[in-house]
Amino acid sequence: MVSSHLKRRLKYLRLALVEHYRIINANPLSRFGFWVIVVFTLVALFAPLIAPYDPWEMVYDSEGNFAALQPPSWEFPMGTTHLGYDLFSQLVLATRTTLLIGATSGLISIIIGANIGLIAGYYGGKLDEVLMRLTDILYGMPFLPFIIVLIALFGRKLEFVILAIVLIIWRTSARVIRAQTISIKQRQFIAMAKARGASDFRIIYKHILPNVLPLLLLYAAFNIAWSIITEASASFLGFGDGETISWGGMLYELWLSGKTRVAWWWFASPSVCIILLVTSLVFVSRAYEEVANPRLRKR
Amino acid sequence: MLDYVLRRLVYTLITVFAVASILFVLFRMLPGEPTLQVISPAMDPAVQERMKEAFGLNQPVGLQYLIYLKNLVTLEWGRSFVSAQEVTDILSYRFWNTILLMAAGMCLTLVLGIGMGIIMAWKRNSPVDVGGTIVGLVFQAAPPFITGLLLLMVLSYRLGLFPTGGMYPPGARPDGLLDLLLMPEFWHRIVLPTLTVGMYYISTPMLIMRDSMLEVLGSDFIELARAKGLKPRVVMFRHAARNALLGVVTIAGIMVGFAVGGQVVVESLFSWPGMGQLMVESAASHDYPVAQGTFLMLAILVISLNFLTDILYSYLDPRIKITAKGMN
Repeated sequence: MVSSHLKRRLKYLRLALVEHYRIINANPLSRFGFWVIVVFTLVALFAPLIAPYDPWEMVYDSEGNFAALQPPSWEFPMGTTHLGYDLFSQLVLATRTTLLIGATSGLISIIIGANIGLIAGYYGGKLDEVLMRLTDILYGMPFLPFIIVLIALFGRKLEFVILAIVLIIWRTSARVIRAQTISIKQRQFIAMAKARGASDFRIIYKHILPNVLPLLLLYAAFNIAWSIITEASASFLGFGDGETISWGGMLYELWLSGKTRVAWWWFASPSVCIILLVTSLVFVSRAYEEVANPRLRKR
Repeated sequence: MLDYVLRRLVYTLITVFAVASILFVLFRMLPGEPTLQVISPAMDPAVQERMKEAFGLNQPVGLQYLIYLKNLVTLEWGRSFVSAQEVTDILSYRFWNTILLMAAGMCLTLVLGIGMGIIMAWKRNSPVDVGGTIVGLVFQAAPPFITGLLLLMVLSYRLGLFPTGGMYPPGARPDGLLDLLLMPEFWHRIVLPTLTVGMYYISTPMLIMRDSMLEVLGSDFIELARAKGLKPRVVMFRHAARNALLGVVTIAGIMVGFAVGGQVVVESLFSWPGMGQLMVESAASHDYPVAQGTFLMLAILVISLNFLTDILYSYLDPRIKITAKGMN
């Protein structure tokens, strides 16, 4: 009995994965985005194995000379900084930080946003009123300044960066998912579930949630992309985690060093990585947008 | 209509009050002395005592909160630890610099974005359309500090076409807004930061205009206009674009709200003496009264912009008032 239940579950999971793959694969841009994300994830997972040096280790070339501000070469494929740090190693290890922050804050914020949206939309009335006023208040918070204030007050720690991003970013997903929930709860199958005596909990998570799923995934991708951009911006301004290397932090060090005039390679690699990863997320999310909003498909 | 405006106004005030309260709690949670909020640890102990007295910091927290709110309303926002200037004085100068840059950036984004959106919908599925979509998405994915740095590196360092930063040349301090606006150097210096802001936000109005144009183009009155034998250009701009603008208006307010945050990066990059740069400087130097005041001012700016969008939208689309009432 248990095993047949499990089997059915696995079958559904496989079907769901096939379905998602079909959605992503249908469009060349989202297919490109998907594979870029896969490559970055692999780099992040195996970062310490790939990076030849520590991020803040002074490197020497094969002739034993101190390698400061070297343009890309066979030895240092992405060049070095003015203090002789290997940019390739920094870039690889920073991938881990960026993906960690992006995934963590993106996922936590979509869980908060989805639940608040579902609950506010489903119950309506006073509860909805309170939750939506709370969302309005968050819309009054300037995002980046809020992170700057929080970091300035509590310290340059990874946890605080994630916390600050999560506290603000769920607002958009909550609003959108609430609107969708309101339209779904008026459909007939919800009334039927109610008539059968299904609990509110069951209706919300078993009947409404699957129907807002494409929208939820769309906003999950957006939240991850926004988190990555925000973390990079905060790090660039000097309000990132001081002890972990990140793409934004690499550009902050470039800006501080005053070598912007000469070291184009120092600028190029973290910038390309940020843009590539965020664009990929946007491309993948657009594939889900077509599912979430079928009107777009006709075009 | 008036009823709706008043209702939104009350909500707006509540939001400002809530943000101010959150700020109070945050600064109260400061590790170490809570008095750091207004009193510089560098001051003479006797002076510190007198300041504590004046700001009511030896009172219980509840009373402190009331004093804090009163000071906010009477515009006693404290003095900078660094320059000892009144926070409100610093802000009143910085405020307009931010507004100028934001206005320039948003005008560029909206005019170009809406125009591009119309053309892309018109030439749907053509290389212009596909290319425009990709370029827009890539621009959106490039945070302003990257595009800004790139513009600086190419147009300023390499080609020497634009100054690297500031609002006017050192030493040429203008007196007043009008004097500033009449300076050619000012216009020379605003180009790069404006481009940076514009590039980052352009995809939003562009893609939304395109999508809502396509939606409007499918409706009956467009068929009718075409059937009447009107020129395609007239149908596009007079009939379709006017109706499609509504979607952009809704998003424009939210976008401008986000742009207040983006301002922080652009101003820091181009040493633009606005509130964004002030935010970063004061937070980095732990100049708490200035940081707090600047944050509040930026929040008030965002909240007012959201309010104005709501009102504008309800004016453009009267249906919204009914639904808004039903919702509340």
